[in-house]
Amino acid sequence: MTEDARNSGRTRVTRRDLMRMVGGGAGYWLTRGTLGISLASAAPSDTLVTGFSFDIKTLDPGRQLENGSSHIGHATYDSLVTFDGADLTTPKPSLATGWKVSPDGKTLTFTLRRNVRFATGNPLTSADVKWSFDRVRYIKGNGAFLLNGVQDVLAPDPYSVVIQLDAPHPAILPILSSPVLGVLDSKVVTQNGGDASPDAKEKDKAEAYLNDHSAGSGPYILESQTRDQEIVLVKNPTHWRGAPSISRVVVRNIKEPATEELMLKRGDLEIAWGIGPDEARSLRQTPGVTVKTAPALNLLYVIMNNNPQVGGPFSNPKVQQAVRYALDYNGILALAGPGSVRLAGVIPTTLPGALPSSEAVKTDLDRAKQLLKDANPGDLKGQLSFSTGNVFYGVQFGIVAEKVQADLAKVGIQITLDGLPSSIALQKYRDAKDQLGIWAWAADYPDVSDYLVFVPGRTVGKRAGWPADASPDTQALADLATKAETEIDNAKRVSLYQQVNRKIAEIGPFAPMFQPVAPYAFRSTLRGVVLASTWFIDYTTVKKG
Amino acid sequence: MHLQTYILRRVLLLIPMLAGITVVSFVLSHAVPADPVTANVGEQAAADPAVVAAFRHRWGLDKPLYQQYLIYLWNLTHGDMGTSISTKQPVLLDLRQHLPATIELAIPAMAVGIAVGVPLGIVSAVNRAKAIDEVARVVSMAGVSLPVFWLGLMAMLVFYAQLGIAPSPGRLTASIVPPRFMTGFLLVDALVARRFDVIGDWSGHLVLPAIVLSLYGLSRITRVMRGSMLETLDEDFIRTARAKGLRRWHVIFRHAARNGLIPVVTIIGLSFGDLLSGAVVTETVFAWPGLGLYAFSSATSLDFPAIMGVGITVATVYIFVNLLVDIAYALFDPRVRVG
Repeated sequence: MTEDARNSGRTRVTRRDLMRMVGGGAGYWLTRGTLGISLASAAPSDTLVTGFSFDIKTLDPGRQLENGSSHIGHATYDSLVTFDGADLTTPKPSLATGWKVSPDGKTLTFTLRRNVRFATGNPLTSADVKWSFDRVRYIKGNGAFLLNGVQDVLAPDPYSVVIQLDAPHPAILPILSSPVLGVLDSKVVTQNGGDASPDAKEKDKAEAYLNDHSAGSGPYILESQTRDQEIVLVKNPTHWRGAPSISRVVVRNIKEPATEELMLKRGDLEIAWGIGPDEARSLRQTPGVTVKTAPALNLLYVIMNNNPQVGGPFSNPKVQQAVRYALDYNGILALAGPGSVRLAGVIPTTLPGALPSSEAVKTDLDRAKQLLKDANPGDLKGQLSFSTGNVFYGVQFGIVAEKVQADLAKVGIQITLDGLPSSIALQKYRDAKDQLGIWAWAADYPDVSDYLVFVPGRTVGKRAGWPADASPDTQALADLATKAETEIDNAKRVSLYQQVNRKIAEIGPFAPMFQPVAPYAFRSTLRGVVLASTWFIDYTTVKKG
Repeated sequence: MHLQTYILRRVLLLIPMLAGITVVSFVLSHAVPADPVTANVGEQAAADPAVVAAFRHRWGLDKPLYQQYLIYLWNLTHGDMGTSISTKQPVLLDLRQHLPATIELAIPAMAVGIAVGVPLGIVSAVNRAKAIDEVARVVSMAGVSLPVFWLGLMAMLVFYAQLGIAPSPGRLTASIVPPRFMTGFLLVDALVARRFDVIGDWSGHLVLPAIVLSLYGLSRITRVMRGSMLETLDEDFIRTARAKGLRRWHVIFRHAARNGLIPVVTIIGLSFGDLLSGAVVTETVFAWPGLGLYAFSSATSLDFPAIMGVGITVATVYIFVNLLVDIAYALFDPRVRVG
């Protein structure tokens, strides 16, 4: 009996049937795909899809550090003050309708907005503000340093908050805009393990809850977080400013800027940031997409080490100056992309105390060579350390390192490149072991005082082996910095910061290169899309056309 | 030895192997000249010793190393892989969320690799030096040489951005609400929740990354299949089969290919292991939240519990895949005796 005869009594799937099914399936997929794109890619009119490369490690405001976390925190929590749009110079009322500073600058009294409720329905009072701030101070998380210098937070009545400082600290006002200092619903968070007592660092267990639920009064409520994938926000209908016009925001984790570019072009993303100059250039030529830039509160600089045992020849001030004259700043700016700005000191241009770019050191190879001859340091060899894993606003650190190497070779300085994985590079830098390094300083908050880290004896100064007591000059600079950060008169303050900035540029072991610009892109049918470097996009201003 | 006894013995060997993996992972991750404090605590925050101390205490990093290891091992035997320093979730939950995404991609990629690679290798060998052979050799050479990052971006540029026949990167379209998380496998979770819209969308999103991911394995399979077939076709028994007057394709498939497949099975096993360990580059380009992305971010942030968790998972995957390969050998080749 043949096989066919044996099988004829049973139903069986013939090869032809199989082909039909496969063909039908493939056909369905293809047509669904082609038709589906034009239908499904435009998100429903009340949903907004945005994307960036997540650096989010927690959505617990008190423990946040990253800008990505601030982005979500700004949508889900309100702070006492805020900034409008991209103007990060004038704090505006938010939960606080007004504030007074005492004549000695050490006491701030805030009047709270009335009739504000959390998304849970609980009323927001000064007790919640005090609780939230105490929690930040006592859990000793990444955000605790923002309240350095705060002696106490008082809630004398339900609509007043008093902040007592150790010393005058004008930066406290812009600091209070940070989503880290967003106000939490103390009842709900306490019920879920929250603690704001001095033992909070042991007792507080609310992070797990706050990673899946927001407990704020902000315009949006956290609906869900899928790690490494997306965060979904839904509008808070009872927000005191009124419900936002976009009901639902899906924030997607898109790690690759080229992917962001393609998705924007197809309309699968409506707003994207973290793109580099290459993507921005391509998107500018795409109909239906608008590209803008926002000044970034960041700078890229070369650090050298003043400690002779680490810095070697680069601990010599004349050699440091020679390095500053040897760099080809025009070439470096070309790498950075259009919109990036040459910096004369370490303070970014949008902050008071910044110096005009015209004051910046200009490339002068002859002067550099002369300085090197005068310094007579012997073997002009050095190691330039940097992180290979990081991309700085579209520019790879490695590319900048190669440029610096080439520039310094022109004056006879031989540089070997020391590219390391990010955490190892960062460790070496923090341990003050970089002979030369390429690093950035992103502002922790939108105030010039954050850039005092470059002062001798402070955070970055230490990394450069530059203590305050190194010389009378450095001590004078350190004292000037303290004066600047406690000065409450605005005009005097600006002048003091300019002096500090000039001195750092003159005697500091740094070569500031540029302040980058942050390009961002969105579908042209959207209105009100503005990027602020502190928290990226504020969804309450965005409207669909 | 009986096959079942062999399997049981291999599975039991898993335990000492995993113990060894934990030691190696622990030692290597702690040998890195960087501190998790550096990778997880901000610069300004780290200037406060109280913050650093609180961080270390929270994650058990203030204990001596051997104690940290023993605590980890003790918890592991109770099914607790610790809490991830980055995601703040239990590592086991992180793996349950990330691994299915990788498996969902690995299985179709492997299927394409086998379905295309094996026949291509056979056809290539049989038509040696003819046009099809040259084409297959160029394609497989390209597949192992071209960087997957570039291939992925090019595929997206052509099929997604320009032609519009592939859907957007990611597991699902953003406007679709995913089904409730149960197994992490979107197909299963969608079926349970009767969300048939999700199934259609999910399958569309799978195609391009799976094809891109399959290319490397496909190329390896083609090359090994071709080489193995060429060797087999020269064997005496093939000449005998032809001499007996058997039809050409009967000789090729029933006789030559079955023998030629044996070394290919090893390659298939290795490729599958590679795919299941997560392809961080493909996942980056296609915004696919799988194990590769998780492994990469835990390595860069010195997230020890996550690193250990990934190490154990990947090791287990390879051990099982190797076991399957050995069983496949025993099934394919009657001369092979296990044990």
